[in-house]
Amino acid sequence: MRHLRAYSQSHQERLEECLKERRGPCSQQLGTRGERIMSLSRREFIRNFSIAGGGLTLGFTLNAIAGPTAAGDLQPNAFLRITPQGEIIVQIHKVEMGQGTVTGLVTLIAEELEADPASVRYEMAPVDDAFTDPEYRMQITGGSNAIRVYYRPLRETGAAARAMLLAAASARSGLPTAQLQAERGRITSADGRFAYNYGELAAEAGKLPVPENPPLKAAADFRLIGKLDQRLDTPPKVNGSARFGIDAPLPETLVAVVVRPPVARGAMTGYDDSKARDLPGVHSIVAIDAGVAVVASNYWRARKAAEAVTLQWEAGDSALTDSDAIDAALTDALNGDSFATIRDDGEAPEAAPAQALDAEYSVPFLAHATMEPMNATVDPISREVWVGTQAPDITSSFAALGLGVEADEITVHNQFLGGGFGRRSMPDHVLEAAQVAAAVGKRVKLVWSREDDTQHDFYRPPMKSRLSAGLDQSGQVVSWRHRLAGPSLMQSTVDAMAPAIMPGWIPDFLIDFGAGLAGRKDNSSVEGADELPYAFGHIQVAYRNVETPVPLGFWRSVGHSHTAFVVESFVDELAHAAGVDPVAFRRRYLAADSRHRQVLDRVAELSNWGNAPAGHYQGVAVHESFHTLVAEVVEISMQGNTPKLERAFCAVHCGRAVNPDVVRQQMEGGMVFGLCAALKGEITLRDGAVQQGNFHDYPLLRINEVPEIEVAIIDSDAAPTGVGEPATPPAAPALGNAIFAATGQRLRQLPFKLS
Amino acid sequence: MSFELNGQRQELSIESDTPLLWVLRDVLNMNGTKFGCGMGLCGACTVHIDGEPVRSCSMPINAVANRRVTTIEGLAADGKHPLQRAWVAENVPQCGYCQSGQIMSAAALLSKNPDPTDADIDSAMSGNLCRCGTYGRIRKAIKSASKNASKSVAGLAVNSWEPGESAS
Repeated sequence: MRHLRAYSQSHQERLEECLKERRGPCSQQLGTRGERIMSLSRREFIRNFSIAGGGLTLGFTLNAIAGPTAAGDLQPNAFLRITPQGEIIVQIHKVEMGQGTVTGLVTLIAEELEADPASVRYEMAPVDDAFTDPEYRMQITGGSNAIRVYYRPLRETGAAARAMLLAAASARSGLPTAQLQAERGRITSADGRFAYNYGELAAEAGKLPVPENPPLKAAADFRLIGKLDQRLDTPPKVNGSARFGIDAPLPETLVAVVVRPPVARGAMTGYDDSKARDLPGVHSIVAIDAGVAVVASNYWRARKAAEAVTLQWEAGDSALTDSDAIDAALTDALNGDSFATIRDDGEAPEAAPAQALDAEYSVPFLAHATMEPMNATVDPISREVWVGTQAPDITSSFAALGLGVEADEITVHNQFLGGGFGRRSMPDHVLEAAQVAAAVGKRVKLVWSREDDTQHDFYRPPMKSRLSAGLDQSGQVVSWRHRLAGPSLMQSTVDAMAPAIMPGWIPDFLIDFGAGLAGRKDNSSVEGADELPYAFGHIQVAYRNVETPVPLGFWRSVGHSHTAFVVESFVDELAHAAGVDPVAFRRRYLAADSRHRQVLDRVAELSNWGNAPAGHYQGVAVHESFHTLVAEVVEISMQGNTPKLERAFCAVHCGRAVNPDVVRQQMEGGMVFGLCAALKGEITLRDGAVQQGNFHDYPLLRINEVPEIEVAIIDSDAAPTGVGEPATPPAAPALGNAIFAATGQRLRQLPFKLS
Repeated sequence: MSFELNGQRQELSIESDTPLLWVLRDVLNMNGTKFGCGMGLCGACTVHIDGEPVRSCSMPINAVANRRVTTIEGLAADGKHPLQRAWVAENVPQCGYCQSGQIMSAAALLSKNPDPTDADIDSAMSGNLCRCGTYGRIRKAIKSASKNASKSVAGLAVNSWEPGESAS
């Protein structure tokens, strides 16, 4: 039996201890890059994350590479390199987790460069300041912002390289650039006398100054943007050669699994590994912060030995965590006061409205359930990390913390992500892998079980909403009041990331102050509720933070995942109370030239709204998130007491669709994600432990359960906006509204359960 | 023990209860077959044993002795099985993690039933989860690779997107 002290140390204590012992983990040992990340104050961090979804980056350009680049290369900036051999290499700084980033980013550069996208070699970018997102101030993929933010800078990158190649060709041929043209990787002269491959010109072009404002192609001349109909990352994904984090093909790598307390903030107090130590293939068994790591020559041996380890632990704060108790706390909060005002258009008229409606909605904790369980491979000697991560720079900080080295000594090899959905922005598993690797002194691949993944996620927070609205004699909505209560995602995120990214010496009262501020104003808790698009009278929105010890995280569409459900369901209630068709009712309150109206009208047309086949029932919802408008109609039939998803329709306004089929993919997938949560998604806790573990009790939709989906993209010349998340929010309310149409039951709680 | 893997004989000595999945991944370094749940609930680890689709995470290696195992790497020598071509043509994968298992389940279906109905597809494919929600495209791709549509697939300008090939 080994006894350990509890790990419920404060950050300050840890810091002092590691300063005393001069070893990691210690955030003060982070290097220059770590310092940059650490120098983010909590408040800056919160602000960066809070505004990002609503941010608008103007006048943002990429820096040219300073000083000479590799011999003979043309490299206008960190994103693009053309070698003398003619290789075109693009750095993918936003991670590919299925949303089509590789295809989108390569398309933007290839369009202006006049290169064949299939000839471009793409690489997952390393951690580098050049790849820092201008909105988040970190190298993070999330908030559906990649195409929106990088649409112009990456086109300028391709255009700069094209201009430099043209200038080099001009110098070589003696012809003015007006008589030269770039096409599919070559510069040719109009008279047909000269033809150069890009590679031939790379060295000369590379010596020229990078133009600051290279001319961009007119949209009418696009041959890839809006036209390319393939994904560049498909081939390796159909023959088994795509490499995800879990596939890091490393010889002589040990595999680790962790035995951990079943509760989120539990602390291991001791363990007994006497029955595990001598099992076949076991290399070592080591204690880390999260529990006991069993390290063996392969996963199965590690897993079997882990089953022979017993753990003692204490629950700490988590013992108080129970779904029923949290539910009661949210109700108490709604009954109380101390709400932070999010929006206040003034008090409703004193006279009682002709009709008053009140309703209470609630949504549960949700897990991400990426198909690839969390994993990370860390080499403690070379300080390399192989992982699929949405946050490479936070990953390097976490790895540094675990290895006790400086963050800029870490090399992150990012891989394809077997699903992200927000989960892979939190590299807790990287810290675990680094601690194990540091302890055993060898390269270790740490792999979570599905149960680890389901029970130790960073969950979408549960929320309760209470709404009331008044309608006058003519059915006009004269007041709308929405109060939300739930835990602050931002506060939880700050806590979880603090050891790696925050200065350790901030006094506790300041930490509490900063987190409290986030808790009251946390945009991620109210986004989608505050900017109600409907011209109702006297809109009031308020939020109250209710703390729980359960770790929370970004879950595809974040706050919109619950606010759209609440708002669009209650709007449907108002429509029925007013005796008006739900589409007509919404149109009445939306500006005639608004994008809301455009997508709503388009989806009504697409779904043949109001004329569903016999036995089919439709529900509608429209919602803006991440600058993109999506309207959805879900059509169901009832099989006894169970809704069957028959068909679904989606209209999206995302500005110019860079790759229309990727947009359609994201609409389809985003809807299925939202419908899955609406019908099945629910994480519950008892005595601090998550009660679900695998796909039998945290089920996902299967092929026989999904509807046929039709997607319409609104034709637009506007600058593109993101598509990874915005299809998820309207799915649940559209389904709930269809269920009401079919049964007369208004379901106000997710997941839907018909009585 | 020994078994045949993608046409090649494999001899190895390992605990007999080791699931085929971990023999493939951790012993033979064949990473195309994926780990998703460890309980046969998600289908990410689907391979063929003697032509039958099997969840390799729940198949102990001793039950594979002297049998014929096919993984995604061995489905077609050139990686251009009609289903793989259809998967590309229909832009099926998003994150791609589950797709090896999806394709192996679909290949087992088509080998027995070259012209499946929607209900046949549901029944053969409902053991394979996809968190990205690519199901509609999986259904389309299976249909376009099925017997009645095989001509049209052969005629599809399926771009392999290998470096050097031109975009259409």
